[in-house]
Amino acid sequence: MVKGDILGHEFMGEVVELGAAVINLKRGERVVVPFPIACGNCFFCQKAMFSLCENSNPNAGMAEKLWGYSPCGIYGYSHLLGGYAGGQAEYVRVPFADVGPLRVPDSLSDEQVLFLSDILPTGYMAAENCDIQPGDTIAVWGCGPVGQFAIASAQLLGADRVIAIDRFPERLRLAAMKLGAETIDYSEDNVLEALKELTGGRGPDACIDAVGMEAHAYHDIAYAYDRMKQAMLLESDRPVALREAIMACRSGGTISVAGVYGGLIDKFPAGALMNRSLTIRTGQTHVQRYMRLLLARIEKGEIDPSFIITHRMKLDEAPAAYRMFRDKQDDCIKVVLTP
Amino acid sequence: MPRKRNLMRADRLGYVVGGVALIVWALRRPGLLRAGVGGLGGWLLYQAYTGSNPMFKPLGIHVNPQPAQPHIAETLVVEEAVTIARPREEVYAFWQRSENLPLAAEGEVELTREAAGEELAWRTMRAEKLMHFGSLTLRDAPGRRGTIVMARLEYVPAGGSLGAVLARVTGRSPQRLVADCLRRARALLETGEAPTTTGQPAGRR
Repeated sequence: MVKGDILGHEFMGEVVELGAAVINLKRGERVVVPFPIACGNCFFCQKAMFSLCENSNPNAGMAEKLWGYSPCGIYGYSHLLGGYAGGQAEYVRVPFADVGPLRVPDSLSDEQVLFLSDILPTGYMAAENCDIQPGDTIAVWGCGPVGQFAIASAQLLGADRVIAIDRFPERLRLAAMKLGAETIDYSEDNVLEALKELTGGRGPDACIDAVGMEAHAYHDIAYAYDRMKQAMLLESDRPVALREAIMACRSGGTISVAGVYGGLIDKFPAGALMNRSLTIRTGQTHVQRYMRLLLARIEKGEIDPSFIITHRMKLDEAPAAYRMFRDKQDDCIKVVLTP
Repeated sequence: MPRKRNLMRADRLGYVVGGVALIVWALRRPGLLRAGVGGLGGWLLYQAYTGSNPMFKPLGIHVNPQPAQPHIAETLVVEEAVTIARPREEVYAFWQRSENLPLAAEGEVELTREAAGEELAWRTMRAEKLMHFGSLTLRDAPGRRGTIVMARLEYVPAGGSLGAVLARVTGRSPQRLVADCLRRARALLETGEAPTTTGQPAGRR
């Protein structure tokens, strides 16, 4: 990111102007915009892997250096992914608008459909990647907004039990009270032992990492090691949750990674992964693949994503909102900004 | 096994001068500095002797000791490829417009070979000076996935291969420009536009 960049990759709004090739939208229509910018025509878009679009990242050369090949462009995000101006603004430019934006029905409020832009599909894809079978127990690391939607989606897709792991009481409370998940507070309990016990000594059938590269941990030597290496710029990401998810997962199970990683990690338990036939599935969310399906679920009342909203603020209060979210003040889980 | 020569001839003299200079400088310094800098000088001399720099392969720097152009002793070679989900004739027609060729903006482009649907070769001149020459080879991608375009470009780098190393590290290399050009072509051919963030608003003043 560069100072002055316009943030925001989860947004919706009214169409005010259209490019000549956009014939499926009209001015005045209310649309939700998916965060991956996708052309709709390339090899990956044709395979519905929209977040891997080959044609939307003007800085693909930068991404190739770090990651080998480039994924799609994303609004209000790292310049590795194009540095597109984001949606925390009164106006935003939406490239390939004939592919991404989804028109939403008047019967649903903004707050019910806004999260179709990212976190609801992200939680859903995380659960779908677990390939849930009847009787399965799914463990979810991180009960932020994505974690909450991963829990809800795992239930929608037929999980028998969902175990939610976090340390913030308000998040654990939401997962338990609203969604009926069992919870583990990792600041109190040893997660591996607790999961082993809760799953009859076998481990969860699939584990969802909804944390990513900025994980925290308590009384963990590896965590202190990651912090130290990060301070010396020798490691970019802290994979505490990922390591734990791999160690916790039952043999032959799946680790589904929704949390974002950016660079390199250390002490990756490759031995556990290989010897216990584990599968890792991950990716930036192919939002366009899930929007219609999830809109239908919202319309049918199977899920109302607005339950995660704790704060509603004005766009010019954004700095205070970011501070509050970072410092976890006032039980903040999700802030919605309006112009 | 002897390593394959990958230093340019002009570089080898530079490596000798640089290596000797470092060793002479190091002789008058205290122990640790003498060992470090002297060692570096020795390493440069060794590379000049073998004609091979072990960093070039990981950096993707390839020297062609026998370029197919008169009056040029040796060149650096850039090779990039892209798969475009469009039929071969369409892709060929796009590249026939010389302004679309890689690094075309650097001079006057002359097409030197045209094999319809298969190959295009060109050279780029600026004020009688040959800037670079290259070719594009087209073939069908397997499984009806469109057209594979292989680009090859040869040039004489300013500052020898050291200049090329610097360009590579700073991301301003011909390699990057060729790759960007191929990506732009794919976007234009597949979608009719090449997305950009140039000119977008920001909170900067």
